[in-house]
Amino acid sequence: MLKLHYNLEKVSMGLVVGIIVAASIGGIVEIAPLFSINETVELPDDLRPHTPLELAGREIYIREGCYACHSQMVRSLADELDRYGPYSLAAESAYDRPMLWGSKRTGPDLARLGGKYSDDWHVAHLIDPRSVVPASIMPSYPWLMRPLEIGLLRDELATLARLGVPYDEAMIEGAANDALAQSRPDSDGAEAVIERYGETVAIRSFDGDPSKLTEMDAVVAYLQSLGTLTNAPYELLAEGAE
Amino acid sequence: MINTLSLSERRLGLVLSVLLAVLGLVMAAAARHGAMAVHGGMAMVLGVALAVKLAAALDDPLPAAGRASRYYDAPTRFGIVMTLIWAMIGMGAGVWVAALLYWPEATPLLPWTSFGRLRPVHTTGIIFGFGGNALIATSFFVVQRTSRTRLADSVSPWVVLLGFNLFCLWGVSGYLMGSTQSKEYAEAEWYADIWLVVVWVTYFILYLRTLARRHEPHIYVANWYYLAFILVVAMLHIVNNLALPVRLTTAESFPIWAGVQDAMVQWWYGHNAVAFFLTAGFLGMLYYFLPVRSGRPIWSYRLSILSFWGIVFFYIWVGSHHLHYTALPYWAQTLGMTFSVMLLVPSWASAGNAIATLNGAWHKVRDDATLRFMFVAAVFYGLSTFEGSFLAIRPVNSLSHYTDWTVGHVHSGTLGWVAMIIFGAIYTLVPQISGRETMASPRAVEWHFWLAVTGTLIYVVAMWNAGITQGLMWRAYDENGALSYSFIESVRAMAPYYLLRTIGGAMFLAGAVICALNCRATMRAAPIEAADRPLATQPAE
Amino acid sequence: MSDHHQREIDPVTGYDTTGHEWNGIKELNTPFPRIAIWALLITVVYAVIAWILLPAWPLGRDYTRGLLGLNQGDMAVAGYRDISDWRGEWLAKMETGDFEVLRADADLMATAMPAAERLFADNCAACHGETGQGGPGFPVLSDAHWLWGADPEAIAETIRFGINSGHPDARIAEMPAFDWMSREERAAVARYVSGLPEGRDGAGVAADLFAENCASCHGDGGEGGLEIGAPSLRDAAVIYGQDSRTVQETLRGGRAGTMPAWTDRLSEAEIRLLTLYVAGLAEAGGEGAE
Ligand code: HEC
Ligand code: HEC
Ligand code: HEC
Ligand code: HEM
Ligand code: HEM
Ligand SMILES: [Ca+2]
Ligand SMILES: [Ca+2]
Ligand SMILES: [Cu+2]
Repeated sequence: MLKLHYNLEKVSMGLVVGIIVAASIGGIVEIAPLFSINETVELPDDLRPHTPLELAGREIYIREGCYACHSQMVRSLADELDRYGPYSLAAESAYDRPMLWGSKRTGPDLARLGGKYSDDWHVAHLIDPRSVVPASIMPSYPWLMRPLEIGLLRDELATLARLGVPYDEAMIEGAANDALAQSRPDSDGAEAVIERYGETVAIRSFDGDPSKLTEMDAVVAYLQSLGTLTNAPYELLAEGAE
Repeated sequence: MINTLSLSERRLGLVLSVLLAVLGLVMAAAARHGAMAVHGGMAMVLGVALAVKLAAALDDPLPAAGRASRYYDAPTRFGIVMTLIWAMIGMGAGVWVAALLYWPEATPLLPWTSFGRLRPVHTTGIIFGFGGNALIATSFFVVQRTSRTRLADSVSPWVVLLGFNLFCLWGVSGYLMGSTQSKEYAEAEWYADIWLVVVWVTYFILYLRTLARRHEPHIYVANWYYLAFILVVAMLHIVNNLALPVRLTTAESFPIWAGVQDAMVQWWYGHNAVAFFLTAGFLGMLYYFLPVRSGRPIWSYRLSILSFWGIVFFYIWVGSHHLHYTALPYWAQTLGMTFSVMLLVPSWASAGNAIATLNGAWHKVRDDATLRFMFVAAVFYGLSTFEGSFLAIRPVNSLSHYTDWTVGHVHSGTLGWVAMIIFGAIYTLVPQISGRETMASPRAVEWHFWLAVTGTLIYVVAMWNAGITQGLMWRAYDENGALSYSFIESVRAMAPYYLLRTIGGAMFLAGAVICALNCRATMRAAPIEAADRPLATQPAE
Repeated sequence: MSDHHQREIDPVTGYDTTGHEWNGIKELNTPFPRIAIWALLITVVYAVIAWILLPAWPLGRDYTRGLLGLNQGDMAVAGYRDISDWRGEWLAKMETGDFEVLRADADLMATAMPAAERLFADNCAACHGETGQGGPGFPVLSDAHWLWGADPEAIAETIRFGINSGHPDARIAEMPAFDWMSREERAAVARYVSGLPEGRDGAGVAADLFAENCASCHGDGGEGGLEIGAPSLRDAAVIYGQDSRTVQETLRGGRAGTMPAWTDRLSEAEIRLLTLYVAGLAEAGGEGAE
């Protein structure tokens, strides 16, 4: 052994090959089966992808680095089920690129946030967290009241569709309109959003002003969608609790 | 710098600079607005500036004959300067974000000053800017000396250093503008990722070519580690960053990985960014500077072999310990946990080998702050790897994950180990490449040492307390089976620790500022010719 | 060349060197320390045992499940069930039963209130404040004035289904917009309303407008108490603000605050527990205000 190594250290390409081989095995063994073992991700029938407005909100969530403080992953631990709700399933983030599971909880987990608070509260909280939660150390995001850029949405959906997210042609073509319509419950397009994305989609003026589509609309729409894309985790917990 | 290049090299440099400027122009013109346009502009400015400088210097005196018999230390010198600049940026951002968690409104309500955007400025600035430049600069220094040869080429070291710093700048400025892929430690956008691949391949080729010219049949351990660092980081970087841009003319992109697979790839990368960026490369640094400074032989060659291959093989398995109890399948978590425990042995073998090497030199450790930096680094390396293996055990992780305990662990590794070994290396090599016996102010080194050690201890102890308090509060039940604390109570409980951390971090930063000033004074006073030393015949310089 | 260096004995450790030298660096030929071998062995044994007991190795389309047959999701649910049972010893009593009886049970209250406090802090305090003091847009809960009545059953109903929450059984509370009024009329009414808490009602155009348009919901003279979600305009407790400017805004745009429904997020017992807690806040707060 020692002799072998004694010779290996004289050949730089030998070291290179040795390192590549030794450092490849673990990754291959752990990553490849995540694609081949079916039970890793069991897609529920009712799982829907994010609407264009929610997707835009997600991009803002990424842009502002919310993931640095908030996880979106209820771990399989009894106290987390108690505090946050059903544990997160792999299927819930199956369309998430990238996933936003997070690695630090400076603030609480957000995986089950949808519906917990009102839109008004989110708007007040994001503009100035300390106005509603005096002890909060979360940053203020007053600039979210600026208009939302929707020029890229169509291409974003198209790109995701190419990667396998189930956006069909109508969703892609209607992306910008759908984003506007989701924040205008009285508009003609609102029906179409429900038709495409399902009954569980919230159609509201999230920032309270239907005449303007703001980044706030998008972020709040996204936050209100968290944990509502499928009912599977809730059903699983209800079954298990019996 | 340019006076170290031959005429043909200056011409090649000129061509490359113009190419960079054109690339930048194309990027800026194609993107028109947003981060990508700004980044194109940056590349263009850099390319034009380099081209102008090179063109003006084409007729300057050529380097003296006999260049091949001297080490090429000018790139190392530049790399060290960049290391120190990034230290200020990265640690400055660290203290800033630390302060924001105590005073959320410490800085004005502008998008770029908000916590979420500054945090990756800290991590990228410090890991890649500070750590990466130190690794590249020292690897050039070490590979030449342990191979007793000059770098194989004179242009590519500059391509590597300038290209790498452009990558860091793109990353950091992108986050401030809100352009990020959000993958921890890989936040830079797709075009920056591709750029880094080009830089890295250049680096690898240069390194191999230099090794090929070595005058010692055996390759020294330090180079094994630097090689592993270069190779595996390339592999990790490429796989984790695979993404489809939304348009070729925008910064936005979507990773090809989704959900649970994305999580596994991310932490396979993320953990091994720790392993091969923050550990393997720095072990290479330790393996050179510790024996040189202490004047002692490496304690055990055989242990070096065990720890090297142990680290290379085991580390790659353990990324899943970042995903305990999550939606990642249990089997993958078990592998991550068990390999993390086995990993402790090679890790401690390295730490033990380093400390045992100091046997017979303890009086030097006492008297020489530079050697003391390296000793403390080895101790913290041992501490943080022990802590890491412990945190990787599922039940322990159920408490520690998501809390500041992780942050404490991170900084016992990065402040105590990574930064300390960098400072030890800097204080050893800066006088050498400046043609001096010592740093301009040895007393300042002493001051730096104590600031760094005190700062680290305050930081780490505060975060241990913070994290364990948080973890316990989140899961505490009263005697009636009800959760004892609301989340906001745990936020409130963190305040004193966040304040302490800010103070500890500020001390650490103050030490780094002293180091930068001291290096500046040392390099300034150096004779111009000092940078490129003659190849050593025997023994160490 | 350095490969031909002599092996030499290191005076400190007594071991010989390997005979290589790089820029002055040498290595000792120290034998493998036993402890390293043992440590490796122990950790490998630990790993193998773990692999046998736990799910561990992937096998193409399947993986080894381990002798213990563990599933982390099931374990978490089982743990959660245990906690629910533990808590159920007293919490179950909350699920049914008369509020007055429950409230009179001092032991039960001593057990229950800390739990309620935590539930309130994690779920309600964001809007209603940590002590139920309310905030702009969110009503005070620590006073004795109730939009839908002081009866605990009514309060529980509000918590269960929310107000304007979108839940099919939600309470609906809408303050219509009086945008058809002229600016001057709205200003006059606003002035009138802002005087009500100080007891300045008086007569005049504004009072008439109020009686015609507002009293149906807010009661004669803004007394409130009709338990249809319209607040009293005579007390100090306000949702949005009762200064003249805010009232004008209320009149121009109307209001429909949202209180989320909790029935899918909290159990019935928890909702009733919170009802008692909230009612208790009111008593404590009410006394304080007196
Ligand atoms: C510096 C860390 C930090 C950042 C960055 C941050 N938050 Fe928070 N967040 C907190 C803390 C602490 C709390 C708990 C106190 C509170 O409710 O404000 C919180 C609470 C929340 C809540 C309430 C969750 C609940 O269940 O009560 C939401 C929603 C939220 N944040 C969304 C966001 C969004 C969206 C962003 C980015 C735009 C963001 N946060 C960025 C720290 C942060
Ligand atoms: C997103 C904000 C929000 C949260 C969270 C919230 N509430 Fe409310 N709540 C409101 C608003 C707004 C109203 C008044 C609705 C209206 O304007 O008519 C209200 C009204 C009420 C009322 C009726 C008050 C009255 O005077 O009759 C009660 C009782 C109440 N909330 C209790 C709770 C409890 C208990 C919780 C937690 C489980 C809770 N609320 C959580 C926003 C909230
Ligand atoms: C259809 C019933 C209805 C009528 C008619 C009505 N209101 Fe209201 N009013 C409400 C309700 C319900 C609320 C509570 C809305 C909420 O909580 O979001 C309210 C809230 C208010 C508030 C805010 C109180 C606070 O605490 O901040 C004011 C002021 C007010 N009304 C004044 C008036 C005036 C003046 C008129 C007549 C011009 C009027 N209302 C007519 C139902 C009514
Ligand atoms: C044997 C060696 C080590 C092991 C097994 C190990 C293990 C771990 C574990 C279990 C975590 C926590 C994951 C979580 O709960 O989220 C972690 C986080 C981390 N460790 Fe280590 N660690 C080791 C050494 C080091 C060293 C030496 C450094 C730094 C130089 C380091 C840097 C980090 C970083 C940066 C993180 C944070 C990752 C993130 O969440 O962003 N580790 N490590
Ligand atoms: C001046 C000294 C430093 C200070 C004050 C500081 C402060 C911080 C703060 C406040 C955070 C964010 C923690 C959170 O989100 O809760 C952080 C994260 C981090 N820092 Fe530092 N830091 C310092 C030095 C360093 C150095 C020298 C390195 C690396 C060489 C480093 C690497 C990291 C990493 C990897 C993280 C991410 C940890 C995680 O995600 O878990 N830091 N630091
Ligand atoms: Ca992290
Ligand atoms: Ca990237
Ligand atoms: Cu790790």
